[in-house]
Formats: sequence, structure tokens, C-alpha cells
Amino acid sequence: MKLGVQTHNIVNDSNPSEGFAMIARAGFACADFSLNSYLSNASIYRDELNDFFSRPIRELETFFLPHKKGADKAGVTIHQMHMPYPIYVPGGSEEQNDYLWNQVAPKSMELCHYFNCPYIVVHGFKLAYYLGTGEKEWEQTEKFIHSIAPMAKEMGITICIENLYSGLGGHLVEGPCCDAKKAAERIDRINERYNAPVLGFCFDTGHANLVGIDFERFIGTLGNRLKVLHIHDNDGIADLHQIPFTFSRSRGNKTSTDWEGFARGLGKIGFDGVLSFETAPVLETFPEEMKQDALGFIARIGGYFAGRIWN
Amino acid sequence: MTSRKDDGVNIVCAPTGIIPVKRPGRGIAYLSDAGFENMLLDFSLCCPPEELVKAGKGELAAKPGRRNEEVRCTGVAENNGDDSKENFQYSERIKEGMLLLAEQCKKSGMQMKIAHAPYLPRNYKDSNLNDLLTVLAKESIRVCAQAGCQCIVIRPLSAGIPDEDIWSRNREYYMELAEAAQKYDVQILLENQCKDRNGHLVRGICADIYEAISWVDSFNETLGQERFGFCMDVGVSNLCGQNMYDFISGLGERLKAVILRDSDGNHENALLPFTSADNGQAQTDWLGLIRGLRERGFAGEMIIDMKDTFSAFPPFLHPELLKWAKTIADYFKWQIGMENVLKKYPSRVLFGAGNMCRNYMKCYGEKYPPRYTCDNDSSIWGTVFCGLEVKNPQSLKELPEECAVFICNVYYEEIREQLQEMGIRNPIEYFSDEYMPSYYFDRLEMKNI
Repeated sequence: MKLGVQTHNIVNDSNPSEGFAMIARAGFACADFSLNSYLSNASIYRDELNDFFSRPIRELETFFLPHKKGADKAGVTIHQMHMPYPIYVPGGSEEQNDYLWNQVAPKSMELCHYFNCPYIVVHGFKLAYYLGTGEKEWEQTEKFIHSIAPMAKEMGITICIENLYSGLGGHLVEGPCCDAKKAAERIDRINERYNAPVLGFCFDTGHANLVGIDFERFIGTLGNRLKVLHIHDNDGIADLHQIPFTFSRSRGNKTSTDWEGFARGLGKIGFDGVLSFETAPVLETFPEEMKQDALGFIARIGGYFAGRIWN
Repeated sequence: MTSRKDDGVNIVCAPTGIIPVKRPGRGIAYLSDAGFENMLLDFSLCCPPEELVKAGKGELAAKPGRRNEEVRCTGVAENNGDDSKENFQYSERIKEGMLLLAEQCKKSGMQMKIAHAPYLPRNYKDSNLNDLLTVLAKESIRVCAQAGCQCIVIRPLSAGIPDEDIWSRNREYYMELAEAAQKYDVQILLENQCKDRNGHLVRGICADIYEAISWVDSFNETLGQERFGFCMDVGVSNLCGQNMYDFISGLGERLKAVILRDSDGNHENALLPFTSADNGQAQTDWLGLIRGLRERGFAGEMIIDMKDTFSAFPPFLHPELLKWAKTIADYFKWQIGMENVLKKYPSRVLFGAGNMCRNYMKCYGEKYPPRYTCDNDSSIWGTVFCGLEVKNPQSLKELPEECAVFICNVYYEEIREQLQEMGIRNPIEYFSDEYMPSYYFDRLEMKNI
């Protein structure tokens, strides 16, 4: 079972080879390429779009050539990437949403293909407040999926929807794709329509923990539709993206996140994908001198999970 | 099953923290003065969870100087294999204490239609009290019926039961309880649970909507009758960050009761609704809750549980706090029943040609079309807004008497006074777009708002 980690805070544009080498030295064979770093969600919500994705695709490919070479040289496979999000801003200008939908999304698909990356994670639209129900919200997300699904089929990419949260006065609650049963039905229906695995699921442990989801049950319901992981930990209150086993909320000092259930669930469905960590903030928490060790420790935890899943 | 006259949500106050079981008189009087007409028959008043735990550990017996009643509660763990005497003593306590309370309520005109059986703390992990809980649940059903309650919320057994045995053990448990429930014609309501994962409260039994549905339906199918229903604890849903609209929609007719309580989403509190807020925003998804309950025309029990807020307030302010709690409960009832009010009248007009009118037309315009709207802004008289003609309010004088005027403007009182001064005798209702089934992505910038 391979291990992966997101590139954000490790791989930088000035010397991508160095970052990928660091990933490899830590014990990771795969990377989750943080394409979303090139257009942050905060800037999208503030309608402060940059023109990164307005460049022609060839120019973008040239820009990412050193990244691709760096990964190859280090022996790191780009296993998954994250599309910038959101791709639709409710109440946003037509120009803004047009750029997101018609420039950012398709070019993300092309870049995913350029990296020979088989999975791209997208965020479902957060529209339930306006539209009233999760079903109507999904209809809009599905329209978006249909807009890129033909590219996915042609390029052999699986688009992965991810369990998300929303905020209510600082309290994080269920967002799109938190119902595994519905997600499974939707994935099956869409894949059947395209006669190809264009849609899959990305299970985010941190987001699930925030809303008290039963990991084992959720993973079990998804079954082989689960393609990609975002492994990280938090205190159940804030989306901290920290190292697993970090948090305890009782005097017993036992983990307050259900890592046993996580491993059991993956074991039961025979998950054979990549154990990929979404722990970029950790790389900022530790001093620069400890970055490599911190990354290595995360990989060790991945190794532990792999052992638990297969035993 | 006996059925209650369907006149919308039935507001019920949870007495825990408000009414001491041994001296309930003043608390009941406070509730009554505040306008509450229904109270939850909460058996945890007699058997608080913390005390059951102490009994399980034999701690009460170990401490000298306990009053007889407390000491009698002990010994469950000490007498493994022979706890029938202690169970009996607890049952007696329930019988005596709760029937006395019920009697006092009756005298004060306070009704009791729903009960809640004793339960253990979330973090209790030992199975040694499960037999006692079974005895107490059965006794609670009996006393519940005797007190005139029609339904009782009974939490599933979870302490010390391995995950893989939860379903089979509870099936056995609830089928055993169903016999008593049938005998006394009481409906058992399951309740969504959270569980304590080393201090983090996560989704427990029946928190998953599909599990909740399958448990209720499976029990009812086995019995061949609707002996089981569901009580949604909003506090638990909030702790688990659940989509309340989906939960309510999924439950459908199985949903018989709702426990209304607020929290910050991280600690299991019972706060007065709307009081847990941060950065100007509520921390509970009241929109999802009201959307769901309104859509299905919920007309069950709505239990307001505010024991933490109540306890935190100085006693001097308790009577006023309870009145405020009743006002909030009435607000929920109004919001949930909004569509019932719209459909009550054969015809209607709106007062106000702004965003609230626009939202009305978006969500209800087709189903409950108004004849027209009116507005005090003379510059828009004769124009059309959201498909409605905007008229001078003086036009309202010509309305047929069965036509209601729905005020679609937050200046409710002022407009009501205006209409009354104009001599309008038609029914006047307030419309609110605070919790609508859906919203536009934008708001209109009105010159007069």
C-alpha cells in the first residue's frame, strides 16, 4: 500500500525538485498535487481572482514542467490533485463564475492529465441555504460534473467528490456529500451513464470527524467507490489538518478520532489505493529544521495504518 | 392508539433543572404563569443519570450519613445476580415520585402527554446497569400511562455492549418493552444518540437516518402496529453537525416529537434556543430544522429543554426567563406552522412590496396566490411587483371579510396599528421570511428599507 502527501507547503515553484525529493526521502511514493494553491478559495470568495488559469494550456504545462520533472526524478507519482474551489460562487458575478467554470475547471482537468494523475478532487457546491435542499444543491453540482465528465472519460481521470462541512457561527456542520448512501447512488448512476469510472469519492477524515461521522460505516457504504483519501486530524471543532493521533479530549488521553474505525473500514472494503495525507499546516507548525522529520513521522503513521488495514 | 387533536405543534416544557421532584409546587406554578400548558414527564427527575451511575458503583452505600431514600437506591452492583430488590426499590421511587408530580400537575392544570424514561450518562461504559434500565423503562411505561401520557421516549441500551451486538441486544430490549407499551397503550419513541469517543461526542445509535428508519420500521413490522415512533433530539443532531432538514425529511411520519435545545455544537448543553451564538450567528441550524418541520406540517410534541440556561440564571429571574422561553417556543410554533396559517384563509392580500413580499412570491406565490399587495410608498402604487399589483393600503377597505391581510414587512406592530386605525376588520397575520424553504441569491436594494 503506497503512501502520499499533499504538496502544499513542501513543493514550491522556485525549486520543485527539492520539495519532491523531500517527499521521497520521508518515505512517500505519491503526492497529492495542490493545484488549488494557485487560486485559493479565500481569493475566490473575495472575488479576487488571479489570471493564472486564463493562460493558454501550453503555457501552464510549461510552467509545471519543472514540477513534473521534479516528481519523476524523485520517483514520486502524482496520484491525485485538488481542483481549486469553489467552482461556483452563489451571488458571484457572471464573469467570475464563468472564469471558474469555463477556465479553471477544464484547465485543471488538462493539467491533471498532463501530470498523468488518475484522480482529481472537486468540491460540491454549497447552495443548500439558497436552494432549500441537498437534492437541489446536488443537481447543480451534477451539472458541473457533467461539464467535465466527458474530459474525464477521454483522459482516464476519475473526478472525486469529497465530504465537506459548512459553518454556523463557528460551529462546523455537514456540508455537501456527507451522506454516503446518496453519494454511492449518484456515483453509480453517473458512471453508468458514461460507461466509465468518471466519478468516485474522496473520504476526508478530518471533515468527517468534525461532524461526528462513523468512519467505518461511511467507508463501508462507499465500498469500491472510495478512490482517494485526505487523511488528517483535528479536535472535532476546527478544521486543523493535523497529524493523526494528535488530539485527545479526555483525561484518559486516548485519541478522540476513530482511527481504529478508519483502518477497519478500509480493511473491510479491501482498499488498495494510496494512504494520502492532507497535512500541509503541519509543515508550517514545525520549525524549518524539523520539516523533514515531521514529514517522515507522518509517513511512519501511514505505514502504521497500512499495517492495521492489512492485518 | 389514542390520537391527539391535530392543531399544530404542541409545546412542552422539560422540567429537569426547573422543578425539584420533592417540592414541585412552585416550579409548576412558574411554568403555568409563563403560559406553558404541557410538561414532560421526565423520569430522570427521580433517577438522575449521575445517581444511577453511583448506584452502579455502590458509591452511595459507601458514604455514611446518606438519607434512607438514597441508600435504598444502592446495591445494584454489590448484589450481582440478585438485584431484584434494588430494582424494585427504584421502581417504587419512580412510582411514588412521578405519580405525585403528575398529581400536582393535574391540580395546576398542567398536562403531561409525553414522558422520557431514565437513562445513563453518555460516557458510562459498563453493562451492569442495563438490567436496571430495563426494569425502570417498564415501570416508566406503566406510570406514564397512569399519568395520562400517550408516548414515552426510551433511549437504546449502549453501555458496555459491543458494536456488533447493539442491534440484536436492543431489538430484544425494545420488544420486551413493547409488551408493556401494548398493555398500557403507550407509544415508544426512539431517540437519536451521540456517543462519547474520549470526550468527543460523535454519532451514536440512530443518529444515522437510515438506521433510525430501519429500527422504527423493523419494530413496527414485527408488531404489526405503529407502536414505535421517533423523537429527534435537536441538541444531539447539532453536536453531530447533522443536516437537520434531511433527518426530518427522512423520518417523515415516524417523527412524533422534537427536543428543542441549543448548544455550541461541541458540548452537550441544554440552552435556550437562539442563545448559543458566535460572531453574530446562531450555532444551531435552526433554518434546516424549521424548513424540515414546516415542510412536513409537523404537529407533534415540541419539548423545550433549557435546563442549563435556567440553572445559570439567578432564581430571581426564573419567572421572567420562563416567560421568555414560552415566547421563543411560540415563535417556533408560528414558524413551523407558517404554511398552515397561509392555507387557513380562502384568500389573502399582502402588505409590503419589498424583499419579504418577493420571498413570499418565490416560495408560496403559486400555492397561496395573493390578490394583490399594498404598500405605503405611493410612488409604486399601480406598478407590478413580482407579478402582483401594488395598491394603496386604502384598497384594503374593500376586501371581502374572509380575506386575510398578511403583513410582509418587519414593522409588524406599526402596520397592524395602521390597519386597525383604518378600520380594517379582516384577519391580520404576520408573515416572516426568516426561515424560508429557499432564497434568492440576491436581495433587492429597496429605497425604503
